[in-house]
Order: sequence, then C-alpha cells, then structure tokens
Amino acid sequence: MIQPQTYLNVADNSGARELMCIRIIGASNRRYAHIGDVIVSVIKEAIPNTPLERSEVIRAVIVRTCKELKRNNGTIIRYDDNAAVVIDQEGNPKGTRVFGAIPRELRQLNFTKIASLAPEVL
Amino acid sequence: MRLVKCWFCSSTIYPGHGIQFVRNDAKIFRFCRSKCHKNFKMKRNPRKVKWTKAFRAAHGKDMTKDKTFEFEKKRNRPERYDRNVTENTLKAIKKIDKIRSAREAKHIENRLKPNKQKKLLDDKKEHDQHIHLVQAPGSVTGKIKVDVSEKKSVQNEAMEE
Repeated sequence: MIQPQTYLNVADNSGARELMCIRIIGASNRRYAHIGDVIVSVIKEAIPNTPLERSEVIRAVIVRTCKELKRNNGTIIRYDDNAAVVIDQEGNPKGTRVFGAIPRELRQLNFTKIASLAPEVL
Repeated sequence: MRLVKCWFCSSTIYPGHGIQFVRNDAKIFRFCRSKCHKNFKMKRNPRKVKWTKAFRAAHGKDMTKDKTFEFEKKRNRPERYDRNVTENTLKAIKKIDKIRSAREAKHIENRLKPNKQKKLLDDKKEHDQHIHLVQAPGSVTGKIKVDVSEKKSVQNEAMEE
C-alpha cells in the first residue's frame, strides 16, 4: 500500500538508496500502489559518485511491500520492508543487480529482466 | 500442493491458510494462523511457549527420536511417477501414522506412570496430616476397637470384691 510521501528502499545497484513516492502510474486518482505497480518517485538519498543524484525524479517498480500480497492459490506473502527497483521509461531496470527476494508476480507483469536478476524469486 | 509446518507451533498448514513472512535475508517463516504470527511479531521464542511442539520436544514431553519420523523428511529429489510406488506409499502413510501415534501415546503414558504411585502416597500423607481441616479433632467416627480380655479381667476383679 504505497502512496505519495511513502519512503521506499531501493533494491538494486542503480545508485539511489531511498526513494519517496510522488505519484502512482495507472488511473488518475489511484490511491495505493502494490507489488508490480510503477510509481514516480524522487530520490531522497543516493550513493555518491553514481549517475543518479539526490532530488532526481525517476520511475520505479515496487518489488516488496509490508502489506500482504495475496495469490490466487490462497497463499499470502508479507515482506519486511517496502522496496522498489529503479526503472526507465520502457520498463528496463537501470541497475545491473537486484537485491533481496522478489515475488513471482513481476515475471507475469513483463518485468522479466528484474525477475531474472533476482537472487531469490518467491 | 505441499503441506508445510508452522514455524511457531509446528502444526501442518493446509492450502489457503496462514501467512508467509519473508525476511530481508530471504528466509521464509510460515504461520498457520494469526495467533502464531502475532506471537512471532512479539519476538517470543517458541521453545519457551508452552503450547508449541517446539516446547514439548525441548522439554521431553513428546517423543522426538523415532524411526517413524524418517519417513516424513523432506526429500529434494523429485521422484519419477510410478503408479505402484504411489499406491504403496498411500497405504504406508496410513500404517506409519497409526504406529507413530501409538508410540507417541506410549511415550506420554510412560512419562506419567511413575507419578501415579507418588500421587497416591502424597494423597495418603495429606489425609493423615490434614484430616483436621475436614473433621473436628474430637469427633468420633467409625468403630472403636476394645480389647475384650482386659474388660473381662476387670469384671472378675469387681465381682470378687
């Protein structure tokens, strides 16, 4: 349940450390974003000497939420933090590595590159 | 479909039940119901929470070492489907279940057996020491035993006089 002003961790090595959600891509007044949704965010904290800098506006896809993810087979998965992977306009990740566990849903939503880079797909 | 065990209480989790929590190091904790989930969030140690299987195993209340548990171990190698093997496995599951529960019951029975005698002695002691809580000290209940021969000698003496 990510909404504007939510801080998210960054789960890749693109250079950003922390993002703040500004807007949810999709419907015009969509309230919350879940796993697999693309958000517009501003970089609140960045690693020095990387292409991404603080207060840059970029897009990201949410990969982990503290709010439970419900699957069709009845399983419910909850992560420990809210995390996103920085993305470009097409949907390709900006970084080359992804950290942490990634849910299977991303593969079905055409984020196959992220799913293939993930160390663990749950 | 796979039946898994609850991380907290060790009961089986059937499909559609419970929540899985994925920690940041990708370790998965499965819970059978919100009771176990909430206890986990409270950072309780299942080995110290009395109603969990972990506690019972750690304190010797339940049987832990037995050959019947070997059958249930998770094997990571997938088996090639063979109709006969499946049929025999299904039959074996029922039989092993029966044997295992009989052994578990026996384990608990053996654990409680020496206490029965002790309980009897304790009850007897309590009766002897604390009967005054139930009956007044001077009250007479039951028959009093009198030695007949003594009485007779007294009577004879009286008559002689």
